[in-house]
Amino acid sequence: MTCEEARERLLDAQRDRLTPEAHAAWQAHRQTCPACAHEEAAEALLSEALESRLPQHGAPRGLKRRLAAEWPGTPAAAPGLWGRWGRYLVPTAAVAVVLLIALPIAYQGTAERASAPMVAEAVNDHLRVLSSQHPLDIESGGIHQVKPWFEGRLDFAPVVRFDGDQDFPLRGGAVGYYLDRKAAVFVFNRRLHTISLFVFRAEGLPWPTRGLQRVGGGQVHVTSSRGFTSVLWRDGELGYALVSDVDPADLARLAERLAPPS
Amino acid sequence: MSEAYDLGMARWGRTDAGGLGREALAYADTLYNLARYLTRSPTDAEDLVQETYARALNAAHQYTPGTNLKAWLFRILRNTFLSQYRHERHNPTVGGLDTVGPASPGPEPAQWLRGDLELDRLRKVVGEEIERALMSLSEEARTVILLDLEGLTEAEVAVVVGCAVGTVKSRLSRARAALRTLLKDYAP
Repeated sequence: MTCEEARERLLDAQRDRLTPEAHAAWQAHRQTCPACAHEEAAEALLSEALESRLPQHGAPRGLKRRLAAEWPGTPAAAPGLWGRWGRYLVPTAAVAVVLLIALPIAYQGTAERASAPMVAEAVNDHLRVLSSQHPLDIESGGIHQVKPWFEGRLDFAPVVRFDGDQDFPLRGGAVGYYLDRKAAVFVFNRRLHTISLFVFRAEGLPWPTRGLQRVGGGQVHVTSSRGFTSVLWRDGELGYALVSDVDPADLARLAERLAPPS
Repeated sequence: MSEAYDLGMARWGRTDAGGLGREALAYADTLYNLARYLTRSPTDAEDLVQETYARALNAAHQYTPGTNLKAWLFRILRNTFLSQYRHERHNPTVGGLDTVGPASPGPEPAQWLRGDLELDRLRKVVGEEIERALMSLSEEARTVILLDLEGLTEAEVAVVVGCAVGTVKSRLSRARAALRTLLKDYAP
C-alpha cells in the first residue's frame, strides 16, 4: 500500500469502515511508515478536538417552546363539535400538547446530554491511548503483574475480572484520567485492534439510566461514536468504560468477561 | 391543517401529532447548532431553525419512513440557508472548497519529523480556537465537517449537500486538512 492510498483510507480505518483485509493492509503500512503514523495521530487528535472541545450551541428554550407550540399542532376540529366549550378547551389542550411534547423531550434530552460527556471522554481517552507513543506504564506479564503495579498510584483498587487470554491478550496498564478523576487504564488487544478499559471511581458521574443492556449480572450502556464502540457500566463503587473500534460483537464478548457475573 | 400534512401523517403511520413532534423536535439542539455555525448569528440561527421546521411540516409527505429523519431535517435546513440566508444576509464565502487547490498530499517525509509540534498543538488547542478556525472555512467545508461530527455517514452527507459520495469524501478530507493548517497557524 502506498502512502497516498493509506491516507485516502485513514478516516475509514479510524472509523472501522474498512474490510478486515483492507484494515490489516492499512495497519501494516502504518506500522512501517512514520509519516502515515503521524497523519493518523494528527487526524485522531483533530477528531478528538472537534468532538470534545468545539463549542456546541443548544437551541434556546424560547425557540423550543415556540417549535413545540407550532409543530405539529392539533388538527382543526369541526366547529360544531366544540361548541361554546371550544374557547376554553383549545387553550387547555394547547397547553397540554405543549407539556406532553416538551416534558418528555426535556427529560430525555437532559438525560442523554448529561451522559454524553462520559461517552465522549471514553472515546477521547481511547484516542490518547492510540496516539501515544508510550501508552503503557507497565507492560503485561499477566493481570497479577499489572494490578499490583497500581498500588500507591491510585486512590482506589481497580477490580478487573478478566485476566486476558488468547482472544483478548492483556498488553499492560497505565494511570490516566477520566473526566475529573484518576483512572486505571488496561489495554487489551483483539487481533490488530486496541481495546482500552478505563476503571475509575463511579460516584458523582451522570451515568446513563436509559437504553441499558443486560450483560452478565450487570447493566451496560452501549454507544457508537466516531466509529468507536463504548460500553459503560457500574460495579459497586467503580465505573468502567470499554472502548475500541473492534467489531462490536467482539467488544460485547470482552464486556461479558469483564462485567459482574450473573 | 393542509392535505400535505395529513398525507405526511399517514405516510409516517402516525395518528397523533405529538409523536411526530417529539421525534422531530428532539433534533432542535442539533439543528440549531448547525444553524449557528452556518449563519454565525444566534438570531438568524433561530429564524433558520424555525423556518426549517415549518418547511419540514409542509414537506412531511416527502419524508420516507425508516430513513434518517435527522439527515432529512439537515437537508431542509441547509437548503433553506442557501436559498434565503446566505444570499440575503451574508456575503457568500468566496471560493468554495471545490474551487480551492487540490488537497495537500500530507507532509513530505522530512516534514513529519516536525510533526510532533502539530500533535502537541492539537492536544492543547482550545474550543475558541477551533471555533474560529472552523468559522473561517467556507460554508461547504463547515457543513461537511459538522455533519460528519453529527455522525452522518458519507452517503447521508451526500444527500444533505446534494453531491456524490466521492465528492463528500474529498471535501471532508480537504476541509480537515484546511482546519489542521489553520490550527497550526494559531500555535503560539
